[in-house]
Amino acid sequence: MKKVYAFETKCLGCGLCEVYCRTAHSKFKDVVKAHNRDNVISAIVIENIFRQSKPISYFVLQCRHCLSPRCVKACISGAMHKDEQGIVHNDKKRCVGCLSCVSVCPFGAIKKSRDCKTISKCDLCVGYGEPLCVKNCPNDAIKLLDENEVEVALK
Amino acid sequence: MMKYLIIGNSAAGINAADAIRMNDNKGNIKIISREKFRAYGRPLISYYLSGKVSPENMYYRSENYFKSKNIEVLLNVEAENIDLKNKEVATIGGGKIAYDKLLIATGSGPFIPHIKGLDMCKQENVFTFLTYEDAIKLKKKITKKSKVIVAGAGFIGLKAAEGLFGQVGSITVVDLADRVMASILDKQSADIVQTHMEQNNINFKLKTSVCEIYGKNNVSTVALSNNEILDCDILVIAVGVRPNIDIANTINLKTKDGIIVNEYMQTSKRDVYAAGDCVESLDLFSGDSKVFALWSSASNQGEVAGFNMASVEMKAPMVFAVNAISFFGLQLISAGVVNASTSNNIVLDLVKSELCRLNILNDNLVGFVLINCEQRAGIYTALISDRVKLSELDYDITSRDVGFSVYSKDERTKKYWEPCKR
Ligand SMILES: Cc1cc2nc3c(=O)[nH]c(=O)nc-3n(C[C@H](O)[C@H](O)[C@H](O)COP(=O)(O)OP(=O)(O)OC[C@H]3O[C@@H](n4cnc5c(N)ncnc54)[C@H](O)[C@@H]3O)c2cc1C
Repeated sequence: MKKVYAFETKCLGCGLCEVYCRTAHSKFKDVVKAHNRDNVISAIVIENIFRQSKPISYFVLQCRHCLSPRCVKACISGAMHKDEQGIVHNDKKRCVGCLSCVSVCPFGAIKKSRDCKTISKCDLCVGYGEPLCVKNCPNDAIKLLDENEVEVALK
Repeated sequence: MMKYLIIGNSAAGINAADAIRMNDNKGNIKIISREKFRAYGRPLISYYLSGKVSPENMYYRSENYFKSKNIEVLLNVEAENIDLKNKEVATIGGGKIAYDKLLIATGSGPFIPHIKGLDMCKQENVFTFLTYEDAIKLKKKITKKSKVIVAGAGFIGLKAAEGLFGQVGSITVVDLADRVMASILDKQSADIVQTHMEQNNINFKLKTSVCEIYGKNNVSTVALSNNEILDCDILVIAVGVRPNIDIANTINLKTKDGIIVNEYMQTSKRDVYAAGDCVESLDLFSGDSKVFALWSSASNQGEVAGFNMASVEMKAPMVFAVNAISFFGLQLISAGVVNASTSNNIVLDLVKSELCRLNILNDNLVGFVLINCEQRAGIYTALISDRVKLSELDYDITSRDVGFSVYSKDERTKKYWEPCKR
């Protein structure tokens, strides 16, 4: 299964991935409108790496689509589920925003929505071909890789 | 072909069935349930009561899910006893179901305390709050004028109270403890929750209990142990749960409060497994065996049982409580040890009702309470479950909001790439 991987040394911390993530998950599908008129939050966390309390570099983090996802086990409504391909989805219609998933995600990769009624997590932009964060990263710091490509990247 | 039989159609039972199917695509899998409803999210019953979740969204799995996985579900069927020798389960009404591997996932039922004058069979306005049916009955009975008494300020009692909000005349929660949700909250956190609920018109009578109730077919008043007398149109009893072990007792399984299982979820009898609210689990901190009533641990244990039933060895992790609950918009996550004498780090903003309390023992995080600042709580949970040495982290978790960067670069890289390689 292909997943999004982030490369710490390449990340500029520019935040464009978040902008496009919001766009992908906004009803407007337009960068400016999604930003101005929609209150979706991105499914990406950008983290600072500190050295002596100064941020020295960044990396992005989104759902790892774990093999045995704790979020799915903890979900009290059945909204959180893993599909046949292995992608972990949250069905917003059934999500009650209890944050049980947030309380167990070891990556801290699930965020509550702005209105607190549901959550936001990476769905690999199903329907877009390539995730918009990957497509729009100016420095190739986020890539969509399958297992074999991961092996290569790790070498 | 292997015959798998699961008693109980909820978190533990369904996750077991899924795990069996994942490992055995031919075996015959049957789930029986004494409830008449398709499997639903039990914790959703308060959302149904309030109207926040509609009946069609109560269900844990889609209508055709079980069919698509070739799992047979029999509703309205109650297991009565087990014949170990012939490997059969007898159901009420005279049916018999054969099995090769049996899972007991019967969950828990309400604990009914001894209260003078209480007669659940006769009194039509006394309710428990554990099943969809309980919630449906309660919702039918309430009126805009009902004076509701909820006995028990644990999370089930409080969720019932929240669910009733706006639909009744008054709601009063009574509990013997000095605070709400005493088992999962320290006093300070509990006070924030209580104050927030009081602002939403929920009344509390703490450090006292319902000791007598009056009314033959309908309760009209209740007496508290502090001698107060309260009018009562609806009484909800939510003082706790007890594992359903009647069926286990028919074959003399080893039990304490719940059924005793090993780390493979095997009971003391061959080919009989048990998982979920009906079993004793090992507490991560004390190593003692305890009953936990947690959806996630029921799901996990069900999965582990399913793997082992399908002859794929898997061990269950030790358990500690992680609870994520919201009341009237106040978001609360509590985990692990919250009351013991640990060194606390507390960041508190009373104006915004925000609290972040980290309980640290020696070099380990052992518990936390987060109120309205729950982003990335799962990282704390992982620090607890993996027993991470705090001194080996990249920064002091009490010094700033936690992130994945708390792990050293090596550790972080390993965790980040690892789950994907499997
Ligand atoms: C109002 C409420 C809110 C909750 N909120 C949360 C929450 O936010 N987070 C959380 O982690 N947990 C929560 N819980 C607890 C959670 O629901 C339980 O831990 C979970 O349901 C346990 O799952 P289980 O599969 O072990 O058992 P159960 O869900 O209890 O299911 C067992 C099933 O077995 C059936 N059964 C029993 N005996 C027989 C028999 N002899 N024959 C046939 N069928 C039988 C029962 O009728 C039942 O349907 C809540 C519970 C309640 C009531």
